[in-house]
Amino acid sequence: MKIEKEPITGYYGKFEIDGVKHRIYWEEAGEGIPLVCLHTAGSDGRQYRALLNDKKILKKFRVIVFDMPWHGKSSPPENSQVGHYKLSTESYISQIMSFIDGLELVKPVVMGCSIGGRIILHLAINFPEKFKALIGLQSAGHLDPYYDISWLHRQDVHGGEVCGGIAYGLMAPTSPENDKFETMWHYMQGGPGIFKGDLFFYKFDGNIGTEIKKIDNSKCPIFLLTGEYDYSATPEETKYLADTIGIEMIKMKNVGHFPMSENPEEFLKYLHPVLEKIN
Amino acid sequence: MFKSLIEKNERRSQLSIMAQYLNTCFMISTVDDEYLISIEKGNVTNVEEGPFVMPSYIFKLTASKNEWLKFLQSTPQPGSHDIIAMLRRKVLKFEGDLHPLMSHLLYFKLLLASLRPTESNNEN
Repeated sequence: MKIEKEPITGYYGKFEIDGVKHRIYWEEAGEGIPLVCLHTAGSDGRQYRALLNDKKILKKFRVIVFDMPWHGKSSPPENSQVGHYKLSTESYISQIMSFIDGLELVKPVVMGCSIGGRIILHLAINFPEKFKALIGLQSAGHLDPYYDISWLHRQDVHGGEVCGGIAYGLMAPTSPENDKFETMWHYMQGGPGIFKGDLFFYKFDGNIGTEIKKIDNSKCPIFLLTGEYDYSATPEETKYLADTIGIEMIKMKNVGHFPMSENPEEFLKYLHPVLEKIN
Repeated sequence: MFKSLIEKNERRSQLSIMAQYLNTCFMISTVDDEYLISIEKGNVTNVEEGPFVMPSYIFKLTASKNEWLKFLQSTPQPGSHDIIAMLRRKVLKFEGDLHPLMSHLLYFKLLLASLRPTESNNEN
């Protein structure tokens, strides 16, 4: 059988983030408005494979998905050691802005999920003029710890197994099993302590608090979409954000914490109308 | 409510390979009723229904009967679809030595979900 090629091209590139050399992997497809997509904690850019294959989106957008340092095919920075990874708000913003500057993208749209859905709020507060629009998937302003994340990185527990088990439950029971399995598999392939290190941002350092009131939707349009089965960033928490910013949230039925990968078909029904509003 | 975990079915048979080195005993409580469940090499080998005088177990999961019934729906509602979701809502309590549970988290999630009715499985 002849191989059916996908329209995705992968690249490796070297650049500095906060003065430290990095080797980063990213994938692209399509032409037009740059749409930079941010994956969830402990996973990688493969989560956006459906967007990178969606003909309708690719006609209007240059979809770009990078693996964060330590994730997917991106390398850890120089002089790294296992067990020392902790994502901070500052370093997360730096890697996103360095990547955008490095590719010389002008006023891109940035869409992020989970930790990515949180960081777009920080981008909206700090650099609204730099973006054409910001899209938050599974956005919550803060998250009180509700389970002990030390289980995610212990030498007497297989990290891939436990991270996969955590991710699996965040998906909707109605999502297709094959897509759920692949979403979980990405988590099972993460490096030791990386999911936990990302959650330092998600559960502690990146909490927004009252800063959310600084977001001015007139400077940069913001769209917030959240799956109904997400118990990490719940629809209620996204609604609180949306109400504070003064926009409508979009509640997505039959999906959980990973809409773009656990049920792409359902997710795209909600995303297409949003992207049509961005010109 | 949980006695049928002992019954063999295809879903549970496939699960045992995910926990082939797991030997443990845990308690599920509905507050009014208790079930002591033994696992050997990933297979449920015994389910004993209380009341117990001096039950011995490694860890215990406690939720009300109503919350467990919501979890066991064929398509549970958001917040009732996963044991960590129930933990988040503070309707389920984890107690004891959680190492067997957390080191086999997906196994236990799928084991409990195997009690949900499907078209080919009306054991509930």
